[in-house]
Amino acid sequence: MTNVLPETTVGPPPPFDPELSAALAVIGEQMPPQLTADMIQPMREGSLLAELSDDDLARDGAFTVTRRHVPGPDGDPDVELLILTPTTGDVVKPAIYHTHGGGMIVGNNRTGVEVLQDWAAEVPSVIVSVEYRLAPEHPHPAPVEDCYAGLVWTAANAAELGIDPERIVIAGASAGGGLAAAVALIARDRGGPALAGQMLLCPMIDDRNDTPSAVQMAGRGVWDRTANNTGWTALLGADCGGPDVSPYAAPARATDLSGLPPAFVDVGSAETFRDEDVAYASAIWRSGGQAELHVWPGGFHGFDMMVPQAAVSQDARAARVRWLKRLMGM
Amino acid sequence: MKDLAVRLAALDPDAGAALHVIAYFDRLAEARAGLHTIVRGAAVLSGCPARLVDDERRVQIRVEPDGAPAPADVRDGVRDEGWMSAPAGGATLWLERSGPPGPVDAMVLERASAAARSVLERTRGHAPQADPALVELVIDARAAEPLRLQAAARLGLNPHDPVRVVALESGAVRLLHGAGGLSGDRAGVGPAGPVTRLPASYEAAVLALRFTAAGTDQDPGPRVVHADELGGLALLAAAVGPGTEPVPDQRALDRAAATAPWVLATLDAVARSPSLRAAATALRVHHSTLQDRLAHTLPVLGWDVRDPQGRLRLQLALALRRLSLSRP
Repeated sequence: MTNVLPETTVGPPPPFDPELSAALAVIGEQMPPQLTADMIQPMREGSLLAELSDDDLARDGAFTVTRRHVPGPDGDPDVELLILTPTTGDVVKPAIYHTHGGGMIVGNNRTGVEVLQDWAAEVPSVIVSVEYRLAPEHPHPAPVEDCYAGLVWTAANAAELGIDPERIVIAGASAGGGLAAAVALIARDRGGPALAGQMLLCPMIDDRNDTPSAVQMAGRGVWDRTANNTGWTALLGADCGGPDVSPYAAPARATDLSGLPPAFVDVGSAETFRDEDVAYASAIWRSGGQAELHVWPGGFHGFDMMVPQAAVSQDARAARVRWLKRLMGM
Repeated sequence: MKDLAVRLAALDPDAGAALHVIAYFDRLAEARAGLHTIVRGAAVLSGCPARLVDDERRVQIRVEPDGAPAPADVRDGVRDEGWMSAPAGGATLWLERSGPPGPVDAMVLERASAAARSVLERTRGHAPQADPALVELVIDARAAEPLRLQAAARLGLNPHDPVRVVALESGAVRLLHGAGGLSGDRAGVGPAGPVTRLPASYEAAVLALRFTAAGTDQDPGPRVVHADELGGLALLAAAVGPGTEPVPDQRALDRAAATAPWVLATLDAVARSPSLRAAATALRVHHSTLQDRLAHTLPVLGWDVRDPQGRLRLQLALALRRLSLSRP
C-alpha cells in the first residue's frame, strides 16, 4: 500500500488555493519549507510558535486552567497534563485528549490548543493536553509512551476531572496527529483506555517519506520532504525508513487497522502528507473501520491554523466541529 | 499562530509590510480570485471590517477581519463618512475605520480596489451606464408624466421605490437607489422620492452641488452635500452667484485667507466641528496650534468665531464663498 512510484511519474505540484497562496507570500519568509536539524534549536527558541499565557487560555473565564503531573511510562519521569475545563455546560463532559504538533521536535502542550478551545466552545468538552518528551533528545518510544501514559491517567481519573469516560476523543495535528493515531493503536493493542474517536489533522504518519505528494511538494509550502526527514530522523535515528519501524512510531506501517475508533482525517492537497493520510483512511475502511476523510484543495500543511480566515480554512474547521457533534451525539 | 494583520504590523511599516500587501493581492490577481476573496483579504490584512459596494452591478460584500462574511448591515446602508475608502471602478471599497490610513491600510486600499476593479470589469462587464437620454427624461419637469414613468421603467426603476438624483461636478447625473454608494466625486444629492418626484430631486441636487467644495486646503468643505441637510441655507443659493457683490463678511474671509495657506481649512474645520478640540483633531494639529492659528486669524477676520453668533457668521461667510465660486 505504499506509494512507491518512480519520481518521473509525478506531475507538477497541485496549485495552492489562491487565498492561501497569497497568505503564504506573507508567512513564507518567516517559515521556510525546508527545515534541517541545525534549525531545531533556533526554532524552539524562536517566537514562531507564539506562547499562550494562562490568561489567554482562560478566555475571560470560559475555561479553568490546571496542570497535573501524573505518572509517566514505567521508570520514566512524570508527564504534565494541561487541563482546560469549560466553566459552563454539563457537569460531566466529553474529553478531547490532545497530542500537540511540532514535527516531534518542537512545541509544548499549549501548542495548538486554541483550535481545540474553539471546538469546545461549540461542543463543551474538557481539553487535556499532554506534555511529551521531544526528539532528538528523546527518540521513539519516549514521545508516544508519554502520550499513552497521560491518556491512561486521564481515563482512570475521569470522574475527578468531570469527564465521561465513554466519550474521550484523541486529537492532534501534524506530528500530534501521528501520535494520536499511534496512541489509538496502542490503546487497542493493550486493551484500553477506550477511545470514542481519533481526530487526525494533517497527521505525520509515514517515516518512509517517499509518497508522490512528498516528492511533488519538495521545497514548496510548509513542512516539505526535507523538513519531514529532519523530524523522522530525530525520532528514529538510523532506523528511519528502514524495515523495522514500529507502527507505534509511524502508524502508516500498521498492517492491521481493524478495531480502531472512528477516525476523522483531514489534509491539504498541496502538502507532503496528502498521500500517506489518504492511504491511512483507505486502510481503515479496508479493515472494516469507520473514517471521514477530507482533502482540502490547494491546502498546504497547517493551512487552517496559519490562515484561519481563508474560505477553505473556515470550511475545514467547520467540518471538524460537525464531525465532533455527530460523534458526541449533539 | 498570529493573524496576518498582527504579522504585518510587526514588519517594517513602510517597506516590508507594503511589499507583503502588494504580493498578497498580486497572487490573488494571478489566480483570478473572486470578489469575496479580495474583500476578505482587505479585511484580514487591515484588521478591520471591509466592504465593497457597487449599486449598478448589485454587488454588496462585507467581511469581518476574522474572515467571516457579515452581510447584514450592508443592507442598512449604515456608513461612516470618516471611513477610509477607495473607488474601484464604479464600486467603492471601504475599510471600516476612520482615517487617516496608515501605510498598510493605504496599500490595502490601493491594491484591493485595483484587484476588485479588474474582477468587476472581467466578470460583470463595464458598469452598465444608465442610458443618459432616459435619465435626462426622468428628471425633466417639462416632460409629460407618462413619458417619464415609461423611461423610469426602462431604467429598471419601480415607480414607488425611493430614488435620489445625484448631480456631479462634471454635469453628469446619476440615479441612486437601494443602499446607494457614491464614488467619491464631488456631488450634490437630492431628496429621495418616487419616480414622479425625480425632477424636483434633480433641481435640489443641482442646488446642493453648489454648496460642495473640492475638499482641499484652498477650497475646504464637504465634497458631498445632501439637499435634505441644507435647511434655510438653500434660499441663499438663489441670491448669490459668480457676479454677486460679496458681502463684507465674505471679503473679510478672503482677506484672512490671503494671510496664510492654512486659514481657510482652519476656519472650515472650526465651522464644521462640535468643539475646538474636535476641530484640532480634524485638522490633525495640536490643540494649542489651533489656538495660535485663531489668534493670528481672528483680528484679520474681525469677529470671534468661537461663540454661537460668530460661528453662524462664519458658516454663512463660507457658504457664500462657495456659492460665489459656483454657477447657478
